[in-house]
Amino acid sequence: MNEPIGRFTTAKTLNRGFSVAPALSKGIGVTFILAVIGSLARVVVPILIQQTIDKGLQPGDIRIAFIVQMASIAAVSVIVASLALRQAVYRLGIGAENGLYTMRVKLFEHIHRLSLADHNGERRGALVSRVTSDIETLTMFFSWGALVWLLDGSLMFVVACVMLSYDWVLALVAFAVSAPLFIVLQNLQRRLVLAYKIARESNAELLGTVSELISGTETLRAYQAHQPIVLKSKRAVRKRADAQIRAGVIGAFLFPSGEVFAVFTIVAIVCVGVLRGVDSGLTAGSMVGFLFLTYRFLEPISEFTEVVDQTQTAVAGLRRVLGILDMPIGPPPTKNPIALPKEPLGIELHEVSFSYSSRLDVQDDDLPVLRNISLSIPPRQHVALVGASGSGKTTLARLIARLADPTLGSISLGGVNLKRIANDELRRRLVVVPQEPFLFADTIAQNLLFASPDATNEDLNVVISQLELEDWVGSLNMGLQTMVGQRGAFLSAGERQLVALARAALSNPDVLILDEATSAVDAIAEVRLAKALRALSEGRTTISIAHRLSTAARADRVIVLEHGLISEDGSHFALLANNREYAKIYAQWLTATSAN
Amino acid sequence: MKLVDETAVTLDSARIDAKGRLKEAVDLVNKIVRYHPRLFFTAVSGAALFAICTVASSIGLRWMIDRVILVRFEQGQLDTTALIAGSVIVIGIGLLRAFGVVIRRSFAGKTEWRTAETLTDKVLDHVVAQPAKWHRARMTGDVVARCGVDADATVAILAPLPYSSSVLVMMVVAAGWMLYVDVPLGIIAVLVFPILLALNIGYQRRIDRFYNVAQQELGALSEAVHESFDGVMVVKSFGAEERETARLASITARLRDARIDAVGVRSVFEAMLDAIPTLINIALIVLGAYRVRSGQMSVGELSSFIYLFTLLMFPLRIIGYLFSEIPHSVAGWRRISELLNEPILQDPAQKLQPATHGVGVEISNLTYGHTQGAELLRNFSMKIHAGRTVALVGATGCGKTTLLHLIAGLIEPDSGTISVQEGGAALVFQEAFLFADTLRYNIDLGADISTAKIDAAIDVAQCREFIEDLDLGLDTSMGERGTSLSGGQRQRIALARAIAHARPVLLLDDTTSALDPTTEAQVVDNLRKFAVGQTVLIVASRPSTIALADEVVFIADGQISDRGTHETLLIQSAKYRELIQAFEHDREVV
Repeated sequence: MNEPIGRFTTAKTLNRGFSVAPALSKGIGVTFILAVIGSLARVVVPILIQQTIDKGLQPGDIRIAFIVQMASIAAVSVIVASLALRQAVYRLGIGAENGLYTMRVKLFEHIHRLSLADHNGERRGALVSRVTSDIETLTMFFSWGALVWLLDGSLMFVVACVMLSYDWVLALVAFAVSAPLFIVLQNLQRRLVLAYKIARESNAELLGTVSELISGTETLRAYQAHQPIVLKSKRAVRKRADAQIRAGVIGAFLFPSGEVFAVFTIVAIVCVGVLRGVDSGLTAGSMVGFLFLTYRFLEPISEFTEVVDQTQTAVAGLRRVLGILDMPIGPPPTKNPIALPKEPLGIELHEVSFSYSSRLDVQDDDLPVLRNISLSIPPRQHVALVGASGSGKTTLARLIARLADPTLGSISLGGVNLKRIANDELRRRLVVVPQEPFLFADTIAQNLLFASPDATNEDLNVVISQLELEDWVGSLNMGLQTMVGQRGAFLSAGERQLVALARAALSNPDVLILDEATSAVDAIAEVRLAKALRALSEGRTTISIAHRLSTAARADRVIVLEHGLISEDGSHFALLANNREYAKIYAQWLTATSAN
Repeated sequence: MKLVDETAVTLDSARIDAKGRLKEAVDLVNKIVRYHPRLFFTAVSGAALFAICTVASSIGLRWMIDRVILVRFEQGQLDTTALIAGSVIVIGIGLLRAFGVVIRRSFAGKTEWRTAETLTDKVLDHVVAQPAKWHRARMTGDVVARCGVDADATVAILAPLPYSSSVLVMMVVAAGWMLYVDVPLGIIAVLVFPILLALNIGYQRRIDRFYNVAQQELGALSEAVHESFDGVMVVKSFGAEERETARLASITARLRDARIDAVGVRSVFEAMLDAIPTLINIALIVLGAYRVRSGQMSVGELSSFIYLFTLLMFPLRIIGYLFSEIPHSVAGWRRISELLNEPILQDPAQKLQPATHGVGVEISNLTYGHTQGAELLRNFSMKIHAGRTVALVGATGCGKTTLLHLIAGLIEPDSGTISVQEGGAALVFQEAFLFADTLRYNIDLGADISTAKIDAAIDVAQCREFIEDLDLGLDTSMGERGTSLSGGQRQRIALARAIAHARPVLLLDDTTSALDPTTEAQVVDNLRKFAVGQTVLIVASRPSTIALADEVVFIADGQISDRGTHETLLIQSAKYRELIQAFEHDREVV
């Protein structure tokens, strides 16, 4: 929204938009020709009046037959023109809808393939609005603004041609007198666009403040602190009203400017016309026709002023949409994939480094950097990654899951470089269970099936009993058919994690990457979770991002990360004996969780 | 003037029947016009000026044709006086008309937005006065929509009113004028108005149905997109990118198809609305020629007649659109008045009693239940002496959080009394809520709290280190464009807020759970040293935190199951032991 909107960049943006969604511009030439034919209907009346006055209504010689004949021709032309107009409107609409459909689908696909760094909390809202409101600004534009530009643009063109064919001197007079209008328009439009931009911003500010006031209401009430933020909201309300009014006033001056110039142009045409007189070849009919044409010529101006803002908004929306499509996608798709060996898979990291700073627009200081990490994890080993927040343990796990590619170095799974494994196969063999498992607003069964859409009911039951969850499922009203609510809201945090574990188990992967949850769950739920986790990781290569040191203590191997480097690597007991960082945090944790 | 509705709010608008809606619309206009009557009537006056000048502009045209052009081209005379007079009339009326437009449009905008401001302010005042109970029964998004989008939708009915009234004036004046100029021609022209009007309104009704369907599909799409992007981690980890894209694409296809249906209808009507008036115009010219032949009309009169008829076509074209906002406005107004008509519930904080001297919190015979059947807290009584630090312990869902909210005066008990030390309680919620403002504001919440107090609070809550790491320190802004803090850091800011407000009672709802054990231990230790004399109630689950309290209140089955020091309870209560050991269970594997 903030970049300057120059003519050149606008043209470039439109071109890119057309290449992304070819349906938008496909056959636009034909549509334009149809629109030109369609706008002929609007010049029929002035021409008919001219012909009637000049050839049909001569004083003392009124030829009704001629007038009727001309009127019939006019009526037929109007019907033909309106059919063409119908076709133009239809073609534009269909093209737009198909084009915007393509654009949306491309966005969905691209966004799903963006790296996780681009999916962070604050950016998510922006991504959603790209495919919803930004594309909607384009829909809005195509259903009105584009129509106005197309129809009124071709109308002005046709009217100008007819004027020139009647009398080029008068036509030039008309153009010359109305020329300054375009300077006025440009100036006022720039102000109008700016005013609307401010209005939109102040609208966003208003909604932001109000939604904060409402969502924070309990906090505010607990501290009786409503007054300042209510005042702030009311200031935002006033500011928004002021901004809207200002934009409205500028629009109010812009709107009739075409008509104002039309009256001056008409007076100029009459003056020049009557001064030149009959000798110049002008007739009364063409003079009157000219007056009508002048109104027609300047009539679209007021409609243009109404769509200027919409047009700018649409171009800005398109620019933001293209901005998303320009973002590099996460790990690029694999060309010439190599199949993974059937047997259990080990993991090798060779001099792996990673930094997020390669992203141009992302300035995330809290995202850690990994430096030169080499590591070999044999098949079926259970590894716990331990470290303070920001030490790089989450990043390391993401690299192994190929949710991002290392900046330097390479990672292989079962001896095959991750970059050479087909995504489908990788996702079948390696599964990530995130810290805050995400559930779709559907049944538990459907959420499990997300991992493996072809699984049968029996498969689900097997998994449930493997993870010893029968009693839990039995305790639910509808068993596996229980609805989980939006993002799993009907379930407790612990239950959501159970579903996530069962989902992972259903895809029966060789490698499991577990980001342990930190959120406090019921002690009893905790026990159930621990059992399920143990069953799930049984016999699988498992990498846990350990927030609880009990997990580390149970693992075959503990890897301690500090500032993106491996500082300790060994069994729990070996590291305790080392008596370094791990031993220290373990001791603290023991005290914190001990009953006495 | 937008042909497609942008506000995705009110799907129920389609269900409102047309007749009742019109009455409601009239009532609505009648009511909200009164908020800013002067602005509205100025806009209407501008509109009237515009209407009169529009009709009058045909006089100028007739003058120019009859007295200047025809005189010059058919009689060969140049009447300079008539030319100058005609020019003055044309320009004068044109400028007056433009002036009318400027007044109409700017004051219509003023009326609309000032009314929106008035409505939003009213809703805000009302909403803010409602206690937590009211808010909990509602979705945040819904309340926000009523303050913003619904207010905007309501006032949208005002914007086209002055213009519509000018259309009315114009039609009446023009009809009179056209009948005056020529009766037979005038009758035909006047008959056309209602036909076009009916066509337009019929079209608008029909197209609105398609737009409503499209609007519903858009809502479904937006919901699905939200969910799909939120779940991107799951999508990626199961390699379901293509499946998800296909799912969203099928919803998008439904949206597209609904809109394409609308385009089909619309293209036909656009063409008809263009063709029909033009065809009538052509007929009028032919009929006019007869009138001119019989000497009942001049060429100038005929031309100005055609001109006037053409001028009137534009408002007739958009009149259907002008009414298309009514259903949204009515629906928006219903939602707003529904909210404004709700009585303001009593603030539970006002029912809190002052505790007797030496008592921090006293609860007697309290019952509270938010589920039917079993009450959450039943006949609950508890007395806590001032200055004590007490841990509330119990299984998830036993009512610990509810108890804190009751003491804070956020919600009211079904029966029983709560007494709190004079000065009240400061509550730290389980989920810290931070405002999109500076850290300083997030701590003082706009109250007048000295820098020294804020500094002390920051130290106790262990915020000093990370705040000093920020470039602007306490003046750093939070929120979308500001810094984002980790969960533990947010918790500590919320804690600093409670400490800085220095209330005699401090209520901590699992506040320190997001902190690592070391930081948590430090914070609790600081709190004990700093909060001397303050009554502190902590909901806690970590044994280390519980152990730091002077006393533990163990809650089970809606009542106090046991009470005493952590060590005593471990020995004395089997249930308590079970709960604490379940927490430790996981460690025994080692």
